[in-house]
Amino acid sequence: MNYPFWDIPYLGSGWVIGIIAIFHVMISQFAVGGGLYLPLAERKALREGRTDWLQELVGYSKFFLVLTGVFGTVSGVGIWFAIGLTHPEATSTLIHNFVFGWAIEWVFFMVELSTAAVYYYTWNRVDSKLHLAVGWVYAGASVCTLIIINGILTFMLTPGNTWLSVAGTGNEASKFWNAFFNPTYWPSLLLRTCVCCSLAGIWALISASRIDGATLPGLKSSLVKWSVKWLVPSFVAMPFLFVWYLFMVPESQRALLTLGVDTIGSGTFSMVTRIALIIVITSATIIGVAYYLAYRNPVDFNTAHAVAILLLALMATGAGEYSREMLRKPFVIGRWMYSNGVRVPYAKKIDNDPQGYLAHSNWVWNGADTSYSRGEAIFRGECGSCHTLNGYRPLASLLAGRDHANIESFITMLHEYKPDSPYHRFMPPMVGSKSDVADLANYLNAKVNPSTANGSKAIQTAQR
Amino acid sequence: MTTKSITSNVYDWVDERLGLSELAAFARHKTVPSHAQSFWYYWGGISLFLFLVQCFTGVLLLVYYRPGAEAYESVRQITFVMNFGWLIRSAHSWSANLMMFAVLVHMFSVYFMKAYRKPREFGWLSGMALLGLASVFGFSGYLLPMDELSYFATKVGLQIPVAIPWIGPAIATMLRGGPEVTEFTVQRFFALHVVVLPALFLPLLGFHLWLVQKHGNALPPSEEAKPESQRKSIPFMPSFLRKDLAMWIISLNVLALLASVFPWALGKQYDSLAPAPAGIHPEWYFMSPFEMLKLLGMIKWLQGESGEIAGILLFTLGIVLWILIPFYDKNKESGRRARVAHYFGLVAIFALLATTVVGYWTIR
Repeated sequence: MNYPFWDIPYLGSGWVIGIIAIFHVMISQFAVGGGLYLPLAERKALREGRTDWLQELVGYSKFFLVLTGVFGTVSGVGIWFAIGLTHPEATSTLIHNFVFGWAIEWVFFMVELSTAAVYYYTWNRVDSKLHLAVGWVYAGASVCTLIIINGILTFMLTPGNTWLSVAGTGNEASKFWNAFFNPTYWPSLLLRTCVCCSLAGIWALISASRIDGATLPGLKSSLVKWSVKWLVPSFVAMPFLFVWYLFMVPESQRALLTLGVDTIGSGTFSMVTRIALIIVITSATIIGVAYYLAYRNPVDFNTAHAVAILLLALMATGAGEYSREMLRKPFVIGRWMYSNGVRVPYAKKIDNDPQGYLAHSNWVWNGADTSYSRGEAIFRGECGSCHTLNGYRPLASLLAGRDHANIESFITMLHEYKPDSPYHRFMPPMVGSKSDVADLANYLNAKVNPSTANGSKAIQTAQR
Repeated sequence: MTTKSITSNVYDWVDERLGLSELAAFARHKTVPSHAQSFWYYWGGISLFLFLVQCFTGVLLLVYYRPGAEAYESVRQITFVMNFGWLIRSAHSWSANLMMFAVLVHMFSVYFMKAYRKPREFGWLSGMALLGLASVFGFSGYLLPMDELSYFATKVGLQIPVAIPWIGPAIATMLRGGPEVTEFTVQRFFALHVVVLPALFLPLLGFHLWLVQKHGNALPPSEEAKPESQRKSIPFMPSFLRKDLAMWIISLNVLALLASVFPWALGKQYDSLAPAPAGIHPEWYFMSPFEMLKLLGMIKWLQGESGEIAGILLFTLGIVLWILIPFYDKNKESGRRARVAHYFGLVAIFALLATTVVGYWTIR
């Protein structure tokens, strides 16, 4: 399409974003939750005159500053690089809509970073009221970053009918607010706020678990117990918020979650159900461990327990983000752009163009204009966002056992994209002309059945 | 009457007849040693937990599984038609594999802590018997889906008893229900897997657990060397139990993760006329003995039929020595014998790991 394709063998481009994003989400949501935790804990300590708490909070805020200020920011910028390279088409759409949203968010980032530093370095150096105020400024700024990014993230899943009615007209930004406050905005915002609070509690438990319970039982048990309470809102509200969230997702996409209830048959596609189960078990375990090991026995609560909770939270977060991404299939921007970057209304246009798919790809190198090399370019453009040849979701093994004709008829099925096709729900159509289908089949056949002699012959001779 | 008084009345009624408070008082006094090697105490409990998971999922699978000619079709339905059937089957297979792993860790930790010494010889012996039964559980359960892999792996696996002199072929024929692996074999393995083995395993497990209860946790030699006053212990109720349960929860999470992300696959239906697919190999916990027998067969003076017998004998000798270790390294005064036993253990671990690696390395 309009941008070059970044080919990442084995891993696939999706996981480049995935790995950075899961790491980032874990830290950035802590940055929001921890931003609320610190001033609230400080306020409680000041009101109750607990100097031992204040000393702990100094150490905790240093850890907070380093983790969010270094790893959070680096991974956040990393996401920018990653999405720009792996999915430029979708990134472009987002920028065209939300450039002001992002500009405002950067203002809050600046406020966040500076106040986090000021907060840590002014412990015991400025008046305690002023210090607390700095904490509140930080909390406000970090909540604002969540408020903004949540609009953009949820837009990708559910852009909403109003925005879709202007999509492709060049006036998309005129419906900024509709796109921003889209159908899943509120449930998602509340869900993420709950997650933020839980993460604040969980990271605080790590810090509190390191207090020696034998010498400071009072301090340890009060901090551990207070930190566990940060997990309560999530576990009361999350199931309801989750149902609300799913209710706002279009029925056809929600149905993806039920794919894996009765089968492992369609492999990767039933994966979303299986991954979703992990959220349930890990969340339940976090409640159990937090209640029995931390809340009921705060003095014995050790760092290994706390790290176990953190790892479980990482698994739950990872599983949650993965499911959210999978739920969006077959789109990258709901009902507007397929996951391979083809805009929904353009699919038919390209199909009917005798010049085929590659005529619409501005960056394809046509040095060797053989069926094989055209097939390779089509593979990268149309399949490469989700598949690799030999690594993640490998076509070499997914298509194994099929001969040339069989591969071609499979691609033809994806090309025709009939509503009753089993792949209709989670894969975009294969767009392009009849000869594009033949080229792609040639290329894939050469990769899947490299030993068949006529396979390699066919790719050299077939011409447009 | 308040709820509280009703509860206490019910408790009293039951207590009078079953003696619950004696049990509770006993549990309160029970302690578990606490030291640097305490971590290894949890592996028996983890094995037990995974066994319980298998009982539970096994019963659920039993509801839909049909042995005999329909075996494959019923497993296909469980995996691809029943709601969450795949999850139950995956959990069953994964917990079986995890249990074998936990049991092996448990065995070696007992070995190196010298927990088989007086008065715990029966604990060691019953544990070895449980391990033997568990591997027969694994072997018989593996065939039940009757897909290509399980069919051929069983066919190859049953070649091992054939090598036993005199009675070997008869044993293999009896297990197979004929000269070939057929639907009669799966019927027999099914009976073995769900009736015979549990009937042997459960009482033996009860005996094993009773012994653990009777003798308590063994101290490793490094702790035994310390004077009584320097040894630490924690109460079983609730401290150790809580940690034990935390381990169970961790195991459950690991199991859930594996079972849902890597669901147990089902191959093509077996076809006795088809050639064996490439890369047929025993399950990982049989890889080492399988490879050891293969390697012994390669030694020059062990070749031929008599060599096969000699190989099996040598292998059996190793296992017998392993089982009889409590009668060699008897107590803390063992001295030189204790060191020999220690090195024997290290050699065993090395041999297990090395042959397993070689086995996987040489799969064709």
